[in-house]
Amino acid sequence: MSKHQQKPASFLERLIFNNRPAVIVLCVLISAFLFYQAAQVRPQTSFEKMIPLGHPYIQKMLEHRNDLANLGNTVRISVEAVDGDIFSKEYMETLRQINDEVFYIPGVDRSGLKSLWSPSVRWTEVTEQGFSGGEVIPQTYDGSPASLEELRDNVLKSGQIGRLVGNNFKSSIIDVPLLESYPDPKDQGKLVPLDYQKFSHELEEKIRDKYQAQNPNVKIHIIGFAKKVGDLIDGLLGVALFFAVAIGITFVLLLWFTRCFKSALAVVCTTLIAVIWQLGLLKTLGFGLDPYSMLVPFLVFAIGISHGVQKINGIAIASGEATDSLSAARMAFRQLFIPGLVALLSDAVGFVTLLLIDIGVIRELAIGASMGVAVIILTNLILLPVMISYIGISKKAVKISREDAVRDHPFWRLISNFAHPVVAPVSVVIAIVALVGGVWYGQNLKIGDLDQGAPELRPDSRYNLDNDFVIRNYSTSSDVLVIMVKTAAEGCSTYQTLSAMDQLSWTLENTPGVQSAISMVTVSRQVIKGMNEGSLKWETLSRNQDVLNNSIARADGLYNADCSVAPLLVFLNDHKAETLSRVVAEAESFIKENNKEGLEFILAAGNAGIEAATNEVIDQSETTMLLAVYAAVGLMCLITFRSIAATLCVMLPLVLTSVLGNALMAYMGIGVKVATLPVIALGVGIGVDYGIYIYSRLETYLRQGLSLQEAYFETLKSTGKAVLFTGVCLAIGVATWIFSAIKFQADMGLMLTFMFLWNMFGAIWLLPALARFLINPEKLRNKASA
Amino acid sequence: MSEPVMRRTLSGGLARSSRIPVSRIYSPLGKALSLCSVLSILAFTVAPLTVQAAEPASLYSIMSERAQSSLLLDITAAGKRLVAVGDRGHILYSDDNGSTWTQGKVPTRQLLTAVYFVDDKHGWAVGHDAQILATTDGGQTWVKQFEDLSREAPLLDIWFKDDAKTGFAVGAYGALLETTDGGANWEDVSDRMNNEDGYHLNSIIAVKDSGLFVVGELGVMFRSADWGQTWETVESPYDGSLFGAVATKEPATLLVYGLRGHLFRSSDFGDTWQQIEINTPNNGPLEFGLADGELLADGSIVVVGHGGTVLKSTDDGRNFSLVNRADRVSLSSAATTDNGKLILVGQGGVHVASPTGADLGQQ
Repeated sequence: MSKHQQKPASFLERLIFNNRPAVIVLCVLISAFLFYQAAQVRPQTSFEKMIPLGHPYIQKMLEHRNDLANLGNTVRISVEAVDGDIFSKEYMETLRQINDEVFYIPGVDRSGLKSLWSPSVRWTEVTEQGFSGGEVIPQTYDGSPASLEELRDNVLKSGQIGRLVGNNFKSSIIDVPLLESYPDPKDQGKLVPLDYQKFSHELEEKIRDKYQAQNPNVKIHIIGFAKKVGDLIDGLLGVALFFAVAIGITFVLLLWFTRCFKSALAVVCTTLIAVIWQLGLLKTLGFGLDPYSMLVPFLVFAIGISHGVQKINGIAIASGEATDSLSAARMAFRQLFIPGLVALLSDAVGFVTLLLIDIGVIRELAIGASMGVAVIILTNLILLPVMISYIGISKKAVKISREDAVRDHPFWRLISNFAHPVVAPVSVVIAIVALVGGVWYGQNLKIGDLDQGAPELRPDSRYNLDNDFVIRNYSTSSDVLVIMVKTAAEGCSTYQTLSAMDQLSWTLENTPGVQSAISMVTVSRQVIKGMNEGSLKWETLSRNQDVLNNSIARADGLYNADCSVAPLLVFLNDHKAETLSRVVAEAESFIKENNKEGLEFILAAGNAGIEAATNEVIDQSETTMLLAVYAAVGLMCLITFRSIAATLCVMLPLVLTSVLGNALMAYMGIGVKVATLPVIALGVGIGVDYGIYIYSRLETYLRQGLSLQEAYFETLKSTGKAVLFTGVCLAIGVATWIFSAIKFQADMGLMLTFMFLWNMFGAIWLLPALARFLINPEKLRNKASA
Repeated sequence: MSEPVMRRTLSGGLARSSRIPVSRIYSPLGKALSLCSVLSILAFTVAPLTVQAAEPASLYSIMSERAQSSLLLDITAAGKRLVAVGDRGHILYSDDNGSTWTQGKVPTRQLLTAVYFVDDKHGWAVGHDAQILATTDGGQTWVKQFEDLSREAPLLDIWFKDDAKTGFAVGAYGALLETTDGGANWEDVSDRMNNEDGYHLNSIIAVKDSGLFVVGELGVMFRSADWGQTWETVESPYDGSLFGAVATKEPATLLVYGLRGHLFRSSDFGDTWQQIEINTPNNGPLEFGLADGELLADGSIVVVGHGGTVLKSTDDGRNFSLVNRADRVSLSSAATTDNGKLILVGQGGVHVASPTGADLGQQ
């Protein structure tokens, strides 16, 4: 790259620096427009973008979406009695008040609201005259011990234990079905879509906070899709705060590095402009900010800062020779524009391989990140030098950079020992041991989400604690695989269909990892038993079609409007990849044997179905993507250095990092999932920069005839500080994510921090050691002289 | 607050209660013969027939660890062995007083409702699709003797003479089937009873020194002093459904029971009845339905039912003690073990209980 340094002013340079006011004005105008756009970017958690739309399971799910619609956007509020059980006057009163309060929250489907206080919750009993029944809470209820005793009996007879009432009678549930859109309270003619975040906040304020304060003996647990999404959006907004933290820390580091307030400010400003442009473009192109693409501004910021720093470094050095800040800026631009461009393009190559993964959020991440990198070329490679040409660099900074060039560097002297003929073999042996160990331990790496509860949130988040409470106390699981049963219209209630569903249910219930399966068969069997005076001897399907039709009349939601699609809900112990794949394989083999004309079993819906599909896609893309990333990066290195040995020197430390990264994930219990898959591409794509910087300098010095260790010392002296700074900058940008309330963001943050730091370390430590074995300085020197 | 009972859901069931000659061959020998003929045809024809021949083989009940904890409806002793039947063709047997259970090989996946053994080897089970299964090895392997899908109705109980030749099965819509050759042929003899409305016959028992007794829907009762040839309608003390009957060790003495804790005792083969009052500790009369009873070896009687109800009498059924098990699951049948424990079956499969029916832990 050194060959570009002495070039005369290029056309591009003249175009930019001869029209500096125009460049500034143009940038201001673009910034104003894109800032306006960026201000309208809203966090969104689009469901469809997070799932592999190309997978057959998902396609089938979307195809039958309307048939499954009423399967459940429901929030469940469990009210726990801390001392005693639910059969107390105070508890029942609080439950009644909560029930009434929930009734009036906008978005609640009032007709479906269900709790012990609902008239629709009844007990039934078979008597000589027929069915006898009544409301669980009798009209005569007055809170007296006698009526509480009656309530207890009714609850026992109602069959609601494990459903509305906890197995230990210490809590009961309010089932709150939601409407996706509801009439505007102000204008009844208009429908407003349900705002999950607002709804979630209302539950917190009007229900949890209010009633826990009012009655200290109750504890409220809330679960359901709407609550989870609400919590997710809150978590996303929290991440915005991390951005401020990252800016603060980076600014301090910049001050330390440049020793110049003006230029530090200029770097931060231009980089923030890059972030605003990127966000503005995102909005302009019709994308939103989802939990994954939220990473992009952080990356853009970190990459922008590291390139800005090199610009400032270059200008500071050039200031020593130049007469004014304009010519210093022009000189730095001349020297650094092309290498900067190459480095940014190599980042982009890493991002582009992400397009191979058939998941919307990942592709948007790839597009967003590529856009961000393109923007950095404009802001930090062009706008920044123009800005500096106006404001200049402080004298102190120039002085320090001049002194730096001549003073001794004991730290770099020490580090240069990594190229020492004795240290190098030791390093290589350690690396091989680490590699083998990493590969061995990395075998424990699992596909998919490994934690209980909602994988998006942390295991100790309130939502997951609530979820855990409900799972422990009620006969329910939050991991549901849905198999769709498709027949001709009006065909879902035939004996043939129902008995096939029953067979599949039983086959799956006998598969390890399955708790239970529920379908219209479950309801049918119960109702037929009920129609026969509750006798257990009738608890099975009937061959009589009238009986079957009658029996499913109350199985709302377990078949669609024209009785052509019926879901079979399979409740799983967990959503670990092995559980999912075992259950799915069992279902697939049943389907293969039993699907026929007019009776089709179709996989899959439900959160577990989606996860099973996602896991399959990830499992398939993981290797493809790794190969693509390494092929692309390897090709970049080959083009740049025209040497296989050099390419190996740069790539092998990256391989070690990837392997150790896998081992770290296995150790931390992080699975390979949508969130961690891009980490490898990002880590390798950006991580290769260090190797390129270091090796290109090293090669230059080797050609000048220096010994390996001496050449390495010189390399470190000139770029070591920048490499260190870049690594730290990138790590800070993503490390703040470790504290995100959203589990997968934290996982991403952790893994990226590790990748960025370890890639830097690998380049500084292992690259010279490998060069000791792979590079022949004699040959390079001869080549140079020839 | 009452809603009408949807009692008559099978309109077609009534017409079929008349005598239907049953010519189906279901004996093992018959099966073997028919298989031979199939094979001989197979030698000359092509594939489609093999498919049909393969079909029944795939319909054996699935061996399942969960069989033991899913719905079981009846349990009985076959010598020292306990045999229980229930959902999806599950037949389980235990040789160690109910500690461990083994699943038999059963050629059906239908719900089985009752099981009866004449000795430690020979037994029969009945179930939905009007199936009758038989075993000659104490319940380890079973063959299907009878099935009638067109009835769209289950058989609900079965009884055999000690000679293992003559037996009767009763079921829904007044079904009464008879065999005189150990089950090789079954004949519909429903018209021996005056049951024009085709009420379900829920239970058939032998009463000591007296004859057979059948109870059913809406309190119907029939008795036969000549062990099944002629049947006489008995005037019932109750118009709610009776789910079962159990003979005591005394001659001509039996108990019948059904809906809402109703329990009656007769010591004259059904001529007169006394209602046995069962009271819960706090809540007045027992309101849970009673499903099945068992005369234990020591002469005591156990009756079980809904809501985890276990009744026990040590005075030949004149007085009962009551336990409502904590889990309140519905129970369907009971048996006793050598060591005095009760084995209860019903929802949730097998429950091993103390002699009074309480959880072992509660003792």
